[in-house]
Amino acid sequence: MTLTKVSEFVRPRNLTEAFSLLEEKKARIIAGGIDVILFPTPAERLIDITALPLSGIEGGEEGVSIGATTTMTELLESPVLRGYLNGAVCEMLRQVASPLQRNLATVGGSLMIGHPWSDLITLFLVIGADVTYFDGEEHEVPIDRFYAENIHRRRVILTGINFPAVRRGTAAAFIKFSRTAFDIALLNCAALVETADGRCTAARIAVGGTPRRAKLLVRAAAELAGKPLSEEVVVQAARAAQDEAEVGDDIRASADYRRELVGVGVYRVLSRIRERLEGSA
Amino acid sequence: MKIAVKINDVQREFSITPGETLLELLRREGYKGVKKGCETGDCGACAVLLDGRAVNSCLVLAAKVDGHTVVTVEGLEKNGELAPLQEAFLDTGAVQCGYCTPGMLIAATDLLAHNPDPSEEEIKEAISGNLCRCTGYVKQVEAIKLAVQRMRGGEDA
Amino acid sequence: MPSREEERREFNVVKHGARKVDGVSLVTGRPKFTADMDLPDTLYVRILRSPHAHARIVEIDTSEAEAMPGVALVLTHKNTPTRRFTTAGQGYPEPSPYDTRMFDTKVRFVGDRVAAVAAESREIAEAAVKAIKVTYEELPAVLSIDAALAPDAPVIHDEDDSAGIYDAARNIVADVDIDVGDVEKGFAESDVIVETVCELQYAQHTPIEPHVVLSYLDPDGRLVLRTATQVPFHVRRIVAYALDYPLHNIRVIKPRIGGGFGTKQEILLEDIAALTTLRTRRPALIELTRPEEFVAARTRHPMRVRVKLGAKPDGTLHAMEMEAISNTGAYGSHGLTVLSNTGSKTLPLYNKAENVHFYGKAVYTNLPVAGAYRGYGATQGYFALETAMDELAEKLGLDPVELRRRNHIRAGETSPIFVKLGEGREGVEQIIKSCELERCIEIGMARIGWAEKRGKKIREGSWVHGLGMAVHMQGSGIPQIDMAAATIKMNEDGSFNLLVGATDIGTGSDTILGQIAAEVLGVPLEKIIVYSSDTDFTPFDVGAYASSTTYVSGMAVKRAAEKVRSQIVDVAAHVLDADPETLSLGDEGVHAPNGKSVSLAEVCHYAMYKSDQFQIAATASFVPEESPPPFVASFAEVAVDTETGFVKVVKFVTAVDCGTPINPVLAEGQMEGALANGIGYALTEEMLFSSRGRVRNPNLFDYKILGALDIPPIEVILVDSYEPTGPMGAKSIGEIGINAPIPTIANAIYDAVGIRLRRTPFTPERVLKAMRNKE
Repeated sequence: MTLTKVSEFVRPRNLTEAFSLLEEKKARIIAGGIDVILFPTPAERLIDITALPLSGIEGGEEGVSIGATTTMTELLESPVLRGYLNGAVCEMLRQVASPLQRNLATVGGSLMIGHPWSDLITLFLVIGADVTYFDGEEHEVPIDRFYAENIHRRRVILTGINFPAVRRGTAAAFIKFSRTAFDIALLNCAALVETADGRCTAARIAVGGTPRRAKLLVRAAAELAGKPLSEEVVVQAARAAQDEAEVGDDIRASADYRRELVGVGVYRVLSRIRERLEGSA
Repeated sequence: MKIAVKINDVQREFSITPGETLLELLRREGYKGVKKGCETGDCGACAVLLDGRAVNSCLVLAAKVDGHTVVTVEGLEKNGELAPLQEAFLDTGAVQCGYCTPGMLIAATDLLAHNPDPSEEEIKEAISGNLCRCTGYVKQVEAIKLAVQRMRGGEDA
Repeated sequence: MPSREEERREFNVVKHGARKVDGVSLVTGRPKFTADMDLPDTLYVRILRSPHAHARIVEIDTSEAEAMPGVALVLTHKNTPTRRFTTAGQGYPEPSPYDTRMFDTKVRFVGDRVAAVAAESREIAEAAVKAIKVTYEELPAVLSIDAALAPDAPVIHDEDDSAGIYDAARNIVADVDIDVGDVEKGFAESDVIVETVCELQYAQHTPIEPHVVLSYLDPDGRLVLRTATQVPFHVRRIVAYALDYPLHNIRVIKPRIGGGFGTKQEILLEDIAALTTLRTRRPALIELTRPEEFVAARTRHPMRVRVKLGAKPDGTLHAMEMEAISNTGAYGSHGLTVLSNTGSKTLPLYNKAENVHFYGKAVYTNLPVAGAYRGYGATQGYFALETAMDELAEKLGLDPVELRRRNHIRAGETSPIFVKLGEGREGVEQIIKSCELERCIEIGMARIGWAEKRGKKIREGSWVHGLGMAVHMQGSGIPQIDMAAATIKMNEDGSFNLLVGATDIGTGSDTILGQIAAEVLGVPLEKIIVYSSDTDFTPFDVGAYASSTTYVSGMAVKRAAEKVRSQIVDVAAHVLDADPETLSLGDEGVHAPNGKSVSLAEVCHYAMYKSDQFQIAATASFVPEESPPPFVASFAEVAVDTETGFVKVVKFVTAVDCGTPINPVLAEGQMEGALANGIGYALTEEMLFSSRGRVRNPNLFDYKILGALDIPPIEVILVDSYEPTGPMGAKSIGEIGINAPIPTIANAIYDAVGIRLRRTPFTPERVLKAMRNKE
């Protein structure tokens, strides 16, 4: 369907030019372009940033930095990410949309639109990712702040995402409940646990598609603090997550059902993490 | 605005409006093998290769492909010879109404270009964004397997 | 009498998985579909649809839209024909009521037609549609079966010019009530009784190609409708009637069609396109968008079906009662006939019961219009019937397979239902001549591992496995109603043009009809040039519905080919100076016992150019006297996640008796596609409505049909039988497969976790809730 409001399509040569084009009039950044077409705004000017040097994946266990215009397929096929956190990012991405869309969709575009059902946000929250953006100058903020402060709604250009270094004894997992393989989540769930000497030293748990955007479950994660990741502790954390998560109704599922899924989902991601930690120990 | 695109190995120039989609452009320019099924990226009937990767052409603005390469189903034949995937689709009965077929072939072409020996699960994943209401996908998966086998010089299934 | 080849059941072309005759053009993306043709000056038409479920149109102001640059025509109830017709493409006179106007003064569902705009582009048409101002007087809406039947329910069809509605004042489109024996007495005499009520949801066909039509005037000024239809001849007749325009001035062409499944057995757009072209003298294109397809095309009839079964201690059924309440939506398309088939295509399967009662109603609601959908009522009936059979088996302490074996119909047997209940009228007596259901059951049991796995509740973490089965029949065409014709003419290179009205909608009917002709004429399939579905050039055929094409159209082709064969033999007898009785056809020639032969090319040359010249050609028709059912035994292994309620189909096995499979590969494809559609219908597909009757999920993002990763391993086994009344022993299997998944999966879920699901689809949430309620 033609976007009838759009009258101008430009490819700036650098970030500064892109940002000034964004400021001048009703304008919108376009990368992969899926959401520009599916969720049109009154934007008259589209600013294509895919020709800027914003694509690529670098790093390893010591931390990963990803350019905003890197596609989901590029992430999935990246040896760097396959080796990072037991490939948890790939585990998640394989369940995102379809290959046809993953070939188009960029990580930056996905984070800027910030769909409530986003699988990326749920996992990136537990990874403790930082978002970098440009609004005349460079910024780097933790992803939870990026959404808490609604930075994605502002006139900014998201430039990349950084994952921190992974300490020994750390594992993460992601799980998604959906009606079919190519569907958004009824609920998604991710966790990351750091351990030392058999005890949890840090943990993050998040659920998304509740049907609202993912949030960290702080109290549920606190259940793990200082304890060994035993079956009993996992069950306690899952129960705490059910109490803590804010869930609601939509056409896909009721709040009650989602609450059930929070319990099962948290239990399953933590159990998977347990297996992974045992496997690597 | 004007764009230059290489389509099916032919360099072409088009005059477009900045808001139109690649799907609209291609069909208007006679690439009717590119099918319209939903215009929301959910059915995959409009899939084309963009720089070698299968994408929903309804989710791509025509302006974005300026300077890039596009292959449609019309471009899969080489010198009047059907591609192995096309032959395999015919031999296994993978084509019923044929409306999803072009997109399905494009998705499978992308798969085999990047993974010449896919597992059954990888085949299913590769076409998971291409909806078909006629076949139940059974024979399409079979067709892709057969094409793999033939391309590797193996015996017919 | 079957010929010698048929008795041996050995064929040269038939029973081979030939490539589809249209295959190459489809894999290369040639412009073969309706919208693939560009005509200069084509107008793009968009339709204004009702935002209300039930309202009167008080005023429509189109002045602003008409004044917009690029707008060529605006159609409303004020400037269009007022004759009521049915959109259902059925044989004439249609059993569906004439309750629809091109544009009415009243709207009856969210999405009902209000106006149409033809403009220079889609964008202009869309903008103009938005510029039309309509004042509505909202009326109370009827949004469920129960609301429709309530004593003081608003009347949906209160107009006085509709015809064929059973009881418009009570919102009842159709009413069916038939009896065999005395069912009350039958239940009193039964030792074991079960009763179950099942409800089926609103579901959509979702062909990947939405409805589309391109209309234009040919150079002689005749109206051409190039349209995505299953029923080209019905389109011509209904459009002629609705517009009161001479039928002989309309030509309907069906190019390649991107799937139908019943939704294209309906005149949804052709009347508007035709009128636009007649008024403007310009081509007009109407394409439904995907959201429109959901809202304003057709759906399956949602139904509530109650089944009560009474049996003797040995499991013999003694009394059967089925009550069906069907929701036909805002218009009565296929209301009566779908309802009839709910009983007529299910109850004869268990012909041992002497006492049978089937009754039901189809009711209007202010919801989207239901229509024909693969399975056509039988799908709805089998959910309740095969669930009840499972319950009965349990109560009797019998293996569900054994209960079916003791009751199902067999070759040489009949059922009184065949006579009592047809499609919207009395039926036709028939004795089953081919039935390999017993073997289907045997094979299916072995392939699924029935003996080893059923009742074992095998656990895998939180998942529990279970097995279920069901059996089914359908029909092959509508007896004494359906008609198909075929013309074959010979060319001087020994090839033949096969012209059929039969409508290939992706099923491969062009190919299998070509195979039948090739078999009779002793030529390879390449020598048959198939052209189908063009009302100017092909003979009549009712179209692609009711599982009729292979059986009904196939017989017409066979007869036409036999006529041509005998003309060929006569000519060859002249050439060879031999007795025609002694000649045989094969290998593209005619052969005499003395070893002399003449090629088909020579025969045609002789007939065309040499002596007693004439065109070797023939037309033949076929009207079936009966509707021989295909049979299916279906088996599923499922796993149910006891923590989340997710149901995973681990394996789905169906063994099907379709007579001779004319093209086994295409026959399997029909089954596989129907099963996939049925599994989606069982597990995920459901149209959801707001409290005001608006569809809440009108797109493929929210309404989920299954993709390649969701399909379980499907095994289809074609079990050979020979139907003596069918072409080369064939029966039709376009529909039957879709009946299988719902009851088979429901019974498997019961085996796994002990819950009976009586409401589709079996979403994780419903399954979990049922498990919790059981605890």
